[in-house]
Amino acid sequence: MCELYSKQDTLALRRKHIGPSCKVLYAADPIKIVRAQRQYMFDEKGERYLDCINNVAHVGHCHPEVVKAALKQMEVLNTNSRFLHDNIVEYAKRLAATLPEQLSVCYFTNSGSEANDLALRLARQFRGHQDVITLDHAYHGHLSSLIEISPYKFRKGKDVKKEFVHVAPTPDIYRGKYRENHADPASAYADEVKKIIEEAQNRGRKIAAFIAESMQSCGGQIIPPAGYFQKVAEYVRGAGGVVIADEVQVGFGRVGKHFWSFQMHGKDFVPDIVTMGKPMGNGHPIACVVTTKEIAEAFSSSGMEYFNTYGGNPVSSAVGLAVLDVIENEDLQGNATRVGTYLTELLNRQKAKHTLIGDVRGVGLFVGIDLVKDRQKRTPATAEAQHVIYKMKENRVLLSADGPHRNVLKIKPPMCFTKEDAKFMVDQLDGVLTVLEEAIGAQTESVVPENTPCRTKMPKEAPSELLSDGTPDPKENPGQKRNRLCADKPSLLSKRLKT
Amino acid sequence: GAGPGRSARFSAPWRPTGAERPRRCWPCGGGCSVGHCHPLVVQAAHEQNQVLNTNSRYLHDNIVDYAQRLSETLPEKLCVFYFLNSGSEANDLALRLARQYTGHWDVVVLDHAYHGHLSSLIDISPYKFRGLDGQKEWVHVAPLPDTYRGPYREDHPNPAVAYASEVKRVVSSVQEKGRKIAAFFAESLPSVGGQIIPPAGYFPEVAEHVRRAGGVFVADEIQVGFGRVGKHFWAFQLQGEDFVPDIVTMGKSIGNGHPVACVATTQAVARAFEATGVEYFNTFGGSPVSCAVGLAVLDVLEKEQLQAHAACVGSFLMELLGQQKAKHPIIGDIRGVGLFVGVDLIKDKATRTPATEEADYLVSRLKENYILLSTDGPGRNVLKFKPPMCFSLDNAQHVVAKLDAILTDMEEKMRSCETLRLQPEAALLSPPLEKMKHPTQIHY
Repeated sequence: MCELYSKQDTLALRRKHIGPSCKVLYAADPIKIVRAQRQYMFDEKGERYLDCINNVAHVGHCHPEVVKAALKQMEVLNTNSRFLHDNIVEYAKRLAATLPEQLSVCYFTNSGSEANDLALRLARQFRGHQDVITLDHAYHGHLSSLIEISPYKFRKGKDVKKEFVHVAPTPDIYRGKYRENHADPASAYADEVKKIIEEAQNRGRKIAAFIAESMQSCGGQIIPPAGYFQKVAEYVRGAGGVVIADEVQVGFGRVGKHFWSFQMHGKDFVPDIVTMGKPMGNGHPIACVVTTKEIAEAFSSSGMEYFNTYGGNPVSSAVGLAVLDVIENEDLQGNATRVGTYLTELLNRQKAKHTLIGDVRGVGLFVGIDLVKDRQKRTPATAEAQHVIYKMKENRVLLSADGPHRNVLKIKPPMCFTKEDAKFMVDQLDGVLTVLEEAIGAQTESVVPENTPCRTKMPKEAPSELLSDGTPDPKENPGQKRNRLCADKPSLLSKRLKT
Repeated sequence: GAGPGRSARFSAPWRPTGAERPRRCWPCGGGCSVGHCHPLVVQAAHEQNQVLNTNSRYLHDNIVDYAQRLSETLPEKLCVFYFLNSGSEANDLALRLARQYTGHWDVVVLDHAYHGHLSSLIDISPYKFRGLDGQKEWVHVAPLPDTYRGPYREDHPNPAVAYASEVKRVVSSVQEKGRKIAAFFAESLPSVGGQIIPPAGYFPEVAEHVRRAGGVFVADEIQVGFGRVGKHFWAFQLQGEDFVPDIVTMGKSIGNGHPVACVATTQAVARAFEATGVEYFNTFGGSPVSCAVGLAVLDVLEKEQLQAHAACVGSFLMELLGQQKAKHPIIGDIRGVGLFVGVDLIKDKATRTPATEEADYLVSRLKENYILLSTDGPGRNVLKFKPPMCFSLDNAQHVVAKLDAILTDMEEKMRSCETLRLQPEAALLSPPLEKMKHPTQIHY
């Protein structure tokens, strides 16, 4: 592969000319990727990496069918949507066919951010309400309007929460307010939204929308409990608001069983507005908002034209259509289910083995590994996660860490990810975690511990660590105090048990 | 004259096959810059599509090469780039950069401005918010520096200073209310406002007032950048060698139709933004394919000398249109630079009342003649020309000839209507044209 600049020069030029807010992965040792195919990326030396991060390359990097479709159309016409053209209407038709019947009107944009901004405009125009309920740790995009509703962003910066934004607790049953041991976390979390609505209304405010990623990605691969969205929808609509499902990260069959992640919650849950992006064009800048006729009509009745220069152009539409075709022809949804299940199984076995793994959660090819320093307290293992990321990179596996504490390893690879890839990834992870835990163990062993009470409990605890389905041992007393040495002993024990 | 073979290269694809024979249309407006489906641009996109198209969190040569090439077209200070997908995204980021850098919130814009469709940009686009969402308290509108239709016209001794003083007045009143200016936002050549060419010296004066108040100058080049004005690569450069905006936004023609856009700014502004500690990540912005496309467009502009071409064809077009103006009273003003031209249609020479309905009718007649033109300006009466840069002298001649014919026809119709109205019997006796022939008509 012939490079224009040496890696060093590329980095230097980047420092000179690219906004410093634009970060690179592995900042301490960035990688230069020059080529990619399917689920593999290649650096300037020709080293191959397994890509577990790029959900954007949905059907596989540089998929020939998608590349062909783009070329074919680029040679013929690429202009704006003010002219009639077959591609845009065909694409809208195909997209609408994947969604519940009421969601039938499409607006094409170029990015998930543009889509979410338009979704807000649609929601606000609908009844003239202004306020938005968003989830904690949500990320909906980089535009001004979206930073305002993305606690993931505004909590970090100097931005202050706006008064028309209301933040509901994220329905995270591992680390959130109501956990897996709660009788009905879905209702409990939905009631939080109800409370917010009531408080807002008491202050004379009006809810325009509730917006949520169908599964939070930046928030740490969070899968809301079943029933949550239905209840929330009831409360929000009762207040005259609409429900926006942000599928930008997780749409297009990633969860395997369904095309859209919100569909996991049942046929009785239909958002009013759905936004999509990222995987839509396999890397080509395409995004879309789909909504109901009613909302669309209210928007057009304002008299304001909506024109997006590039949105819905023939090339983007051709690319989008090609992606839909590949998802279907290659049964990528089926693959996501099969490989995803297998991957989660392997990871749960790892969880039984490594105390650093606090939780494994996921559906299809959307998986998160929550690393903790202490299983009881669920203290995020932030530094450890960073360490793991870098070590995995050395082992030629690309992973990233997210969540508010940057401790959740996120896996959302191209949908052509195979069982072999899953096994490879997990084997590397196993090795890295083992070494890491030994190092931590070695560190703590040099400290003189108060370990007598722990030793007597050891035999009872060891089997619980080996529970392969990952569920916490019901006999485990949550109030029990364990010192760090105890936390490490099981891993040494399990190492001895490992064959 | 024009370069070799240029007249053969029309601005729209021509496929003479198939039962439904497609008609050739001459588009005179749109985001395509070097010509629809330019083979070099298509090739660059295709080649890169086959190799890698991923995000900017990995090092890659294309993005840094593109940034470097762009920096060479700009004044030295503007050397830091952010890549995005649309002009709207670019303007939104420009707003964020300005606010972060200055610590201020308010924005001064020009009347009838249009900066994009995002929530934040509707707020700063009088073209959009007037009569709809309404003006926000942090938005302040200065008069459009329109020397044909604005408060200071071609007969004013120094319209640049006069219009700049209006901005100064706006800034002062903002400060009196205890508010602070983050930015002055303006399209380098307001397009939606009616193909306006701000008088030379206006921007430097405005920049002075704005910077004194602690704000920055944002030049929106989305419609007009990349050599369109012929004389310069960037339209803001028309305002003087010494004039350097703090932030420049680019889009539309940058990728010849591929969704690319960019914000260029100074190191100081970029560093202030970084200091927030919040990452800026744009999923598709700066991707290897988008940058390959951007680079290809720069290459074509250079190789085919499209900037010089725009200057040449642009002045020819203006000349032809000038002749039409002398001939047709409906043409109130011809203004333009390079391939950015506006034809201001009026009902009355003294009042300069926009000929809105006539403009609309004219556009539909042109369409019947396979010429795509649109109108803009608050009176929807300005024919706007901003064709692909490969627009030829022949194309210009052809369009103007059609325009002439249609306008002549329209005038005849109007005269017969007048005649019918005044003297219904007389109209039956003599042909209206002979009766009403204009003494100063020029035929060519």
